[in-house]
Amino acid sequence: MLRFLALLLALLVAGPAFAQSVVQTDNVRAELLSDVATVKPGEPFWVGLRQTIRPKWHTYWKNPGESGLPTEIAWTLPAGATAGPIVWPAPSLFDIGGVTNYGFKDEAMLLVRITPPADLAGPLKLAAEANWLVCEDVCIPEEGKFELTLPSGAAATPAPPALRALFETARRSVPTESPWPARYGVSKSGDPTLIVEARGLKPDTIRDVYFFPAEWGPVATMAKQTASVTAEGIRIPLRKGDAKAAMPAVLAGTLVLTEKTADGTVKQAFDVSAKLDPAFVPAPASLAGAAGAEQLSLVQALLFALLGGLILNLMPCVFPVLAMKAAAFARLAGHAQAEMRRDGLTYTAGVLVSFAAMAAIVVAIRASVGDVAWGFQFQSPVFSLLIAYLFFTVGLNLSGVFEFGGRLAGVGQGLVARGGTTGAFFTGVLAVIVATPCTAPFMAAALGFALSQPAPATVAVLLAMGLGLALPYLALTMIPALQRMLPRPGPWMDRLRQFLAFPMYASAVWMIWVLTQQTGSNGVLYALGGMILIAFAIWLLRLGGGTSSGNWTRRGVAAAAVLLAFAATLKLEDGPATAASASGERTSGVNFEGWERFSRARMAEAVAAGKPVFVDFTAAWCITCLVNERVALETPATKKAFEQAGVVKLKGDWTNRDDEITGVLKEVGRAGVPLYLFWAPGAAAPKILPQVLTEAMILSELSSIQQAKR
Amino acid sequence: MSNFSVPRRSLMLGGAALALAPAAAFATTSPDVGKPAPLFTAVDSNGKSWSLADLKGKVVVLETTNHDCPYVRKHYNSKNMQDQQREAAAKGVVWLTTASNAAGEQGAVTPAQANELTRSRDAAPAAVLIDPQSKIARAYGATVTPHMYIIDAKGVLVYKGGIDSIPSSSVADVPKAKQYVRLALDEVLAGKPVTVASTQAYGCTMKYPRTST
Repeated sequence: MLRFLALLLALLVAGPAFAQSVVQTDNVRAELLSDVATVKPGEPFWVGLRQTIRPKWHTYWKNPGESGLPTEIAWTLPAGATAGPIVWPAPSLFDIGGVTNYGFKDEAMLLVRITPPADLAGPLKLAAEANWLVCEDVCIPEEGKFELTLPSGAAATPAPPALRALFETARRSVPTESPWPARYGVSKSGDPTLIVEARGLKPDTIRDVYFFPAEWGPVATMAKQTASVTAEGIRIPLRKGDAKAAMPAVLAGTLVLTEKTADGTVKQAFDVSAKLDPAFVPAPASLAGAAGAEQLSLVQALLFALLGGLILNLMPCVFPVLAMKAAAFARLAGHAQAEMRRDGLTYTAGVLVSFAAMAAIVVAIRASVGDVAWGFQFQSPVFSLLIAYLFFTVGLNLSGVFEFGGRLAGVGQGLVARGGTTGAFFTGVLAVIVATPCTAPFMAAALGFALSQPAPATVAVLLAMGLGLALPYLALTMIPALQRMLPRPGPWMDRLRQFLAFPMYASAVWMIWVLTQQTGSNGVLYALGGMILIAFAIWLLRLGGGTSSGNWTRRGVAAAAVLLAFAATLKLEDGPATAASASGERTSGVNFEGWERFSRARMAEAVAAGKPVFVDFTAAWCITCLVNERVALETPATKKAFEQAGVVKLKGDWTNRDDEITGVLKEVGRAGVPLYLFWAPGAAAPKILPQVLTEAMILSELSSIQQAKR
Repeated sequence: MSNFSVPRRSLMLGGAALALAPAAAFATTSPDVGKPAPLFTAVDSNGKSWSLADLKGKVVVLETTNHDCPYVRKHYNSKNMQDQQREAAAKGVVWLTTASNAAGEQGAVTPAQANELTRSRDAAPAAVLIDPQSKIARAYGATVTPHMYIIDAKGVLVYKGGIDSIPSSSVADVPKAKQYVRLALDEVLAGKPVTVASTQAYGCTMKYPRTST
């Protein structure tokens, strides 16, 4: 409001200085403005039809939506002069009692590029007839005639600053060309889905994604769009429009989204031209909003999950468990069929309950945190270590170092060893626990899908996987014909069992390797030390016999050893390797061409040398940063001005955590990027530029130091 | 399996669906052309009841109206609307003008007002349906006045959209415009498929009941 008043004042003061033509209707004050005071023959310049709209009323965008009409301008120009099409600001969405409109409220500046004739002599006379529809609840068509006469000269002279500021604001509200490629596909029902391949966005910083189709026809005007923002990009399921024509080769429109930066929200608009991708057939609308990058349908995902579960049986991590199961099974051989069936069913139940529990955890975490990646449990080094211990212990068991049973009720193996139903159930649970490490790499697509789905689908996919895991054994117990194909029990079973200890040890080794990836080399020390302690505890417990007080001492020591092994987990959090692997990707997405990498030292050095320094703190996922680069920092004019002024250009990449940059942000009271600092030569402190940059802003900063030099 | 850390990065798929836009009172979904037209029953300005189901065997035109809307006035002041109503009646087409703007809004009329408007404008619809709850407009997804629909003798929606091709409020544009409804009606009556079966309607926004939110 203040700005508006200032503007009004500026206009009043500057009023007579520039030519304008104002039409005041009941609902709109419209004026034709020019960004130059003097025209140079043959050199294009901009004019704007500025509409100041009665509060609560609105005028329309080029595609007005479900009702309304766009503003039209008809030009009468001297021979040889041309007027371009209207360059529209990004629209807003209005809901007029259930009818969706695209347009503008309060104020809109419609820009038009005028090219005067090269042989222009004397003043340039522009005449325009404009008509517009302005609506609140009721709609009024209005019109106005405008005339603007601009003197011509050898060089164009800019309009007064207040007016130029208006144009600057207007240009800023025009959508920029999308920095990302886009494509769209059509589902079997004919509904298009738009994909804007904006990779690496942070879903939690993007709000209000809406695609305004450029024209009536191919896409319906929707009151609501359910866009999903994933790391792969923006996906917007749309509804087909009313045009009875084939879908166009290119679907054009304006994508408007609001980015939440740490210091406020910024609305961004991009012009998108999405090519029709015949290979992309989106799933039906019910799933289209949430499917992952690999575009699986729920049915496909369920099948993949089932298949994946089956394959899990061949994984080294699960194989040993199955060996245990096979041994148990062989013992069961000859028992009543009913008992076998019960055994198979309870095993299956154990597997399914575990998967259901996992699904519940996923859903719960997602509900509270909002973002889960599969393998999230393996991001925890504690989990890796515990699994390594488990593999090791099971390995020892298979080797025959100790037998399950007795009083060694530890991680649940005790329950497994119990015969009958409980045993079968917990074998299932154990199979799942040891199987999960194998699932992540092989089940990526299906799990990714599951995790991006609404809760029921997540649960369904995970259960399908569990069913796949349990299926072979279930089939074995259910179908007597299969049982007859199994070899007879005998001493080979013990040998097989002992052999299977080795894949178990191998799995433990692998888990320790994973651990080192997470924590660095110290992880090896803790893990192997912990394993020795566990082996020691087992040995102590197996000594047996002796007095009861001796027994208790041994148990106490064994318990202490195990506790110590587990205490190692406390030392594991936040190891250095995690940070190292994160920084390995630091260059992704941020373009350093023409820029030096920011460091405090380099900045201090350049400032001390009396050079002008511009610092751009950016991140690959920061859309506002990207837009600023495109419209203000990387334009030819800015580049040239930077060069002429001898500016040292530093760029800090905050895509991943960077303590140095975080420190700088904190010092200037910012919580995140974008942040732009400009040190004039010899300045004691940098100037903090706004979050939303314009070319003019940068140029004026640079010209101010040029003037100071003189 | 050394790429163990890969999936956790590539699968950062969160529950990220973002909804937006102000809550709409309702989604304007209009029936597709080529599909059965939504049935309705309404009372006209003379108290007579009309049901689309009873009109099977006849071609029906629906015209949403708001007499204060400049775009409606354009077609009545130019006599374009009345002319087409008469032509249609002569060919046995049932032309139903529907006053569907919600009671209390601009364009809502009492039966007496509707009859007075028909008289003063010299209009010739088969009937003016009084639809203060916007039921017909809603069933057809009408967004503007005039929004035009043609239903063939089998009850199939064969045209929806604008009355003509020049979206303006200027009477001078009427003779220059392609009269979509007239062209479509001719095709329907000749037993041909409609060439231009769906166009962008233009006019004033329909005023639906405010309580519908």
